[in-house]
Amino acid sequence: MIIEHVLFVSAALFAIGSYGVISRRSLITVIMSLELMFNGVLIAAVAFSRFTPPAALLSGDPLTAEAIRSTLTGHAFAIFVTAVAAGEAALAFAMVFAMSRAGDSIEITDASDMKN
Amino acid sequence: MEVTSLTTFVFSVVSVMALGCAGLVVTQRNVFRAAIALAGSFLSVGILYFVLSAEFVGVVQILIYVGAISVLVAFAVMFIQDVTSGSRPARGQVIGAVVAALIFVALVFTSFNTNWSTMDRINDPVAIAALTEGWVEIGTDDDVRITLESPSTSDEVVVENGGVLVDSTGVLGVLLVREYMLAFEMIGLLLVAALIGGLLLMRDPERTSGQPGRKISS
Repeated sequence: MIIEHVLFVSAALFAIGSYGVISRRSLITVIMSLELMFNGVLIAAVAFSRFTPPAALLSGDPLTAEAIRSTLTGHAFAIFVTAVAAGEAALAFAMVFAMSRAGDSIEITDASDMKN
Repeated sequence: MEVTSLTTFVFSVVSVMALGCAGLVVTQRNVFRAAIALAGSFLSVGILYFVLSAEFVGVVQILIYVGAISVLVAFAVMFIQDVTSGSRPARGQVIGAVVAALIFVALVFTSFNTNWSTMDRINDPVAIAALTEGWVEIGTDDDVRITLESPSTSDEVVVENGGVLVDSTGVLGVLLVREYMLAFEMIGLLLVAALIGGLLLMRDPERTSGQPGRKISS
């Protein structure tokens, strides 16, 4: 397992998700594909955190606790993005639900009501 | 089995599972089955984080994605969609496939042609000890894990072969409340905003009395 293999999985997940976002008609499936794309990005962040050292470790200066902590920046990024994705998913499904309750179609080609 | 080959084996299995379930999500006509496949894909990615020695992120992934978002998707499907009929045929499958393939090829080409600065420099414990000048080695365990202590601040880290911090959860906790304090607090604000927004959107305008003229959706 080297970083290229993990990035390969990440790129494949992102591409599958983007295919879903472009080609699916139902808004629910589009949101699900968006979550897949989020996951692809998060895998890349964690992989970089795991395999590449931050600049503070390569500078040759004596290590500080901050420099050691900075190896986990990718993990912190992943957690923040997860939280944002959770809020986004909740709002998106609430909007889809509001559309379907108002009697509108939830197909993405018809979803232009929001400008009214 | 040797540890590295076991890691590679688990990584391969979990990657195939994640990608296979993701493929089901975007091809399955039955939306409920797609939601189940989505949960499977999330779970596989969670295990992948464990393989990448990011235990806390893996737990967060399983709790939030598998535990919360998948359930939310399942509820949304049951509330909104006529499950059995499924979604109608896709809009532009060809253009979607072409765009996805272009993205994939570009990403893979870039990642395989970039000379990533890998962890070699801090790959072995001796190199770490040399790097951490001033830090004192206060314990080893089978030459795999070494514990280092900074004499000035008495911070402690445990480092494993491959330059991986062993106690990554504790270090991550300190990172979140020191370096990323502001972002951490803003996430709380964002979640509250999302909660209030979701409640407002889900409110039934006809059945909410006392607030005339406040219809949210058309």
